[in-house]
Amino acid sequence: MFHRKFTILFILTGIIGWYGISSGVIDLESLVPTEEIPEGWALIEGPQIYTKKTLFEHIDGQAELFFKYGFQKSIFAIYQNLKVQENQIELDIYDMGNVLHAFGIFSRFRSEDRPMGVGLDSFLDGSSALFYKGKYFVMLYATEPNPSLLKEWAMKISLRILDHSALPKEIGYFPKNGLKPGSIQYFPEGLLGYQFLKRGFQGTYIEKVEVKDEVEDKAKVKDGDETKTETKEFHLFLAIFKNSQEAMKALRIYRDDLFKKGKIDIAIPTQLGANALKGEDPYQGKVITVQKGPYLLGVVGFEKEKDGEDRLVEFMKNVR
Amino acid sequence: MIGRRKFIKTISSALLGIAAPNILKVRSSLGKTEKTPNLESRTLGRTGLKVTAVSMGVMNCSDPAVLFRAFDLGINFYDTADCYMWGRNEEMVGKVFRGKREKVFIQTKVHPNIEKKMRASVERSLRRLRTDYIDVLLWHNHSFPEEVSDRGLFEFMEKMKKEGKTRFTGFSAHSHMASLLREAAKSNYHDVALVSYNFTHSRNLREAVVIAAQSGMGIIAMKTQAGGYKKERMGGLTPHQAALKYILMDQNVSAAVPGVTTIEQIEECAAVMGNSFTKGNLNSLKQYQSFLHGRICTMCGGCVGECPYGVPHHELLRLAMYHDGYENDSLVRESLQIVTRQEIPRCSRCMSCSVICRRGLDIREQMQLAQELLVRS
Repeated sequence: MFHRKFTILFILTGIIGWYGISSGVIDLESLVPTEEIPEGWALIEGPQIYTKKTLFEHIDGQAELFFKYGFQKSIFAIYQNLKVQENQIELDIYDMGNVLHAFGIFSRFRSEDRPMGVGLDSFLDGSSALFYKGKYFVMLYATEPNPSLLKEWAMKISLRILDHSALPKEIGYFPKNGLKPGSIQYFPEGLLGYQFLKRGFQGTYIEKVEVKDEVEDKAKVKDGDETKTETKEFHLFLAIFKNSQEAMKALRIYRDDLFKKGKIDIAIPTQLGANALKGEDPYQGKVITVQKGPYLLGVVGFEKEKDGEDRLVEFMKNVR
Repeated sequence: MIGRRKFIKTISSALLGIAAPNILKVRSSLGKTEKTPNLESRTLGRTGLKVTAVSMGVMNCSDPAVLFRAFDLGINFYDTADCYMWGRNEEMVGKVFRGKREKVFIQTKVHPNIEKKMRASVERSLRRLRTDYIDVLLWHNHSFPEEVSDRGLFEFMEKMKKEGKTRFTGFSAHSHMASLLREAAKSNYHDVALVSYNFTHSRNLREAVVIAAQSGMGIIAMKTQAGGYKKERMGGLTPHQAALKYILMDQNVSAAVPGVTTIEQIEECAAVMGNSFTKGNLNSLKQYQSFLHGRICTMCGGCVGECPYGVPHHELLRLAMYHDGYENDSLVRESLQIVTRQEIPRCSRCMSCSVICRRGLDIREQMQLAQELLVRS
């Protein structure tokens, strides 16, 4: 009898333990290296926990941005080089509640594609390193540039994070062709600056356009101008709604908005189907958007019709 | 020079992921714009700058379209900071206002540090903002009166002024605003103060705002919406305009900088200008207050009295607020870990509580709730 009870207890403990590990339920403090730190360095401040109430004390008004991305709590620590005291590394680990929000806040801080191979995605430059893994967003800042040390530190922290959630599936919907590396971002509200588009993703694409440049000395060129190729950027976006009705509602609002403030083009490419809108947005430029299930996906700011349409059609195929 | 320009252009495009030339071209080709708000300008204290009463906190804004819209609406004062999104926020402001610099006022911030680093921070801000000067440079988030009256910090700002990097200076504060404003009013160290100020704040802060404004400081209000509203839980009530009008009724406030993220929000805020605070607005705010009244402690600091038995009511009220207001029990658990580590006296449930909430919150009931949370832990 005792043996049976012990077995049940053992199994239950195992299940709870497995659930805890798989869902990433870990103590934030355990993610901060306190002993396994590189030689010649010491923890001099923290770890200090910050909550929704106290985050302002740590990062001032920027706390609001973190709240929008589902901030739960964070931990902060400072390490110091024992030889050169001004040489310090600051560490912030943010629990953002889930992997989508962790990616979202990461995407707002990453300024370009400079991955270091840590976590689900990362960024490394001379004096800063960022990465996200599971629901955690990690920032490291060095007072003196030291990318190799920052990377080493980031890897140590990453190993401690047991949340192995996959990256948001929507990232994979964006066509690779022409995509500017590291440009996909997630916004929890106000996609393209519009309240009605709510939350969603945006990626930047490059197109080559021909521009006519006036030549200063017209005598040198007969017709007074010459043609050059210039790269320009446009965006694909994916607005996410609760259901297809909500997505259709947003499409109608966008149509009304363009009617009032921009232009509507009635020549919609046939492959986009009936629930599509084409026109010119006063602030975003040329736009084509289409409803597919709970999504509104679209392209904005393109110059060449074909580039925009082709990319949108490819995008539509990817979205399931 | 051309190389540098091209470099900045390339970098900014890379950083922002926007195609400003496209936007600008489209904007000029489309003539349709609907009615503009009745602009109301106020003088920003001793700076003499004429700023729009409703200005813009750019901090959380992610899309340049919102800034373009704000500019089209006539808004001329924009608040950003060096650290917002590691400088990307400043980059966006710089890109949007390229070619319009003289038509807008830009406020950004710097953190106290050694001079070399502060100087580098200001230089970085100038590069990102694509400008030779900042209109208002603030110390980011002062918390203690000693910081406000720090001679060394003042001297650094004076250097920045003399070198033409900024026209005016000041500080921002999220807490202890009243004492900071009173301290700042004693000297001429600061031209501007950016403070958290809304309809839930105490008379003490309102009085400090008057004193600071009378000393010549320009007062800019942030957090004017008192942390936002949960529309669903309040029967669709959205008292944003009412909250903004309320704070602008105080003529000591030169401008409010609500943090907006969408075109709709900036239009809603801008529409407040030139409109007086109506009975409807008052009702709207009253409804919101009654929603808060007796339900949630907003940590406004307006508690009167102290517990004779030393019960730390602030700590316990915070627990109750996390449970009832934020509905976030993980925060409760976290705070409990801190509270239970300390040996705090328990509430003895006196017949009447010595601590009184000026907003009518039943402190005794809140203590009881916090006590239950403690017991459960």
